[in-house]
Amino acid sequence: MKKWKSWVDFTLALTSREIKGRYKHVALGFLWLVANPLLQMVVIGLVLQFFPGIRTENYFLFLFLGLLPWNFFSISFSKAVSLFVDERHLIKKAIFPRESLILSLVLSNLFHLLVGFLLVFPFSLTSINFITLVGSMIWIFVFTTGISLFFSSLNVKFRDMSFFVRAIIPIWFYVTPIIYSIQAIPEKIQILLFLNPLTAIIHFFRVSFGVQESVITETGFLLSALVTAAVTCLGVLVFRREQKYFDDWM
Amino acid sequence: MTKLKKKTAIKLEQISKEYTLKHQKPTLVGTLFRLESREKFQALKDISFEIFKGEKVGIIGPNGSGKTTILKLIAGIATPTTGEISTKGRVVSLIELEAGFHPELTGEENIYLNGLIVGMTRAEIDKKYQKIIKFSGLKKFIDSPLYTYSSGMSLRLGFSIAVHSDPDILLLDEAIAVGDEEFRKKSLEKINEFFKQGRTIVSVSHWLDYLRTNCTRIIWVENGKVIKDGGVWVIDSYKKIAS
Repeated sequence: MKKWKSWVDFTLALTSREIKGRYKHVALGFLWLVANPLLQMVVIGLVLQFFPGIRTENYFLFLFLGLLPWNFFSISFSKAVSLFVDERHLIKKAIFPRESLILSLVLSNLFHLLVGFLLVFPFSLTSINFITLVGSMIWIFVFTTGISLFFSSLNVKFRDMSFFVRAIIPIWFYVTPIIYSIQAIPEKIQILLFLNPLTAIIHFFRVSFGVQESVITETGFLLSALVTAAVTCLGVLVFRREQKYFDDWM
Repeated sequence: MTKLKKKTAIKLEQISKEYTLKHQKPTLVGTLFRLESREKFQALKDISFEIFKGEKVGIIGPNGSGKTTILKLIAGIATPTTGEISTKGRVVSLIELEAGFHPELTGEENIYLNGLIVGMTRAEIDKKYQKIIKFSGLKKFIDSPLYTYSSGMSLRLGFSIAVHSDPDILLLDEAIAVGDEEFRKKSLEKINEFFKQGRTIVSVSHWLDYLRTNCTRIIWVENGKVIKDGGVWVIDSYKKIAS
């Protein structure tokens, strides 16, 4: 019981270190975290005006609700993959729960995501569906943590993992329905998109704010959930096996 | 021999530790295409010993003999390739204590963060907070972010946190005293206090005279093996070979 508590204390302390450290001495610090997706939204939205097939109704809101979770995922994942190596001075010197490093990084970004969603609240088209909203938050947190654990653990032994991940992320952006809607894809291929859990997660974020009708099929949902579970289990397993030997490879 | 029942603090059973020698960064591509040599290096070979509660142990040996590896295994930072290791109580090592500091956070915030890293609970840190600041002598600067500290100042803060963490087993690696002359004296006094308090202390050092006056047992390690294990006299036989 006491162990649990100090584990939670420690993870939260690292999380607040992340958040505070980033914004402490930056004027208007919190503005920066919304400025980025906002700018992306404006630029992409304006450019795509000239391609009428892609834009959906309420396109700016639609886009913003895709960009927020995407930014959360891509920023967390790309930073996490080299995190154990970046923090090697700590890992080599002290014994503490290593998973807290990853968890605190993802949690601090989750905090930013939450702030971002608070800003969307006034623009919601219908009353906000908190069940799907909270559910999607948990889902994206679990998936991001799982995949981060997997690649960051491997990156200690195989340093080219971080190159691989950073190469794959921009491509991942295009196979996720962020700037386009799932409905724009031929039905036969739609199901393939759900191999990527972010497809389902972003879909539910949009549903929460009434931007999109729920069109997700049962198979699509199950597929995304299954992939999430598999990736997360694998991540935890690999991490548990490898973490004992992190110091050897630093 | 005393008949007192001794309690085991640290136990190493047939410990071996093998490292893979790396000449460049390890990569997956390199491994798959066998571009990298994966030579093995035995840092420790089948080592066993037991350290009892309250013993002051000094580990000596030439560079690269495996001393630091032993400390890392005891601290739990590294895991042995084969063998079993067990420790009782809170293990704190006094090696580069400022590793967990964050430059953007204040001294106060860093005390909490580093305190948690060395294994204290929040309540414990609250209780010892004033003592930590007093010992470090950094009262004036405690609200300033750490990047404004000199390296000596962060060393002092780190040391102060570690010694107040109330360790059962204390690991000392080389840098036994830190900071300027005055703080060096203070920290040596503090360590000497630990020596008197019946805590278990394991130190690795080339400063043989220091070990001679402060340790009750010396373990001589060379090439990953224990050469001699006994009283302070081990230092003399070590010196004979070395010179």
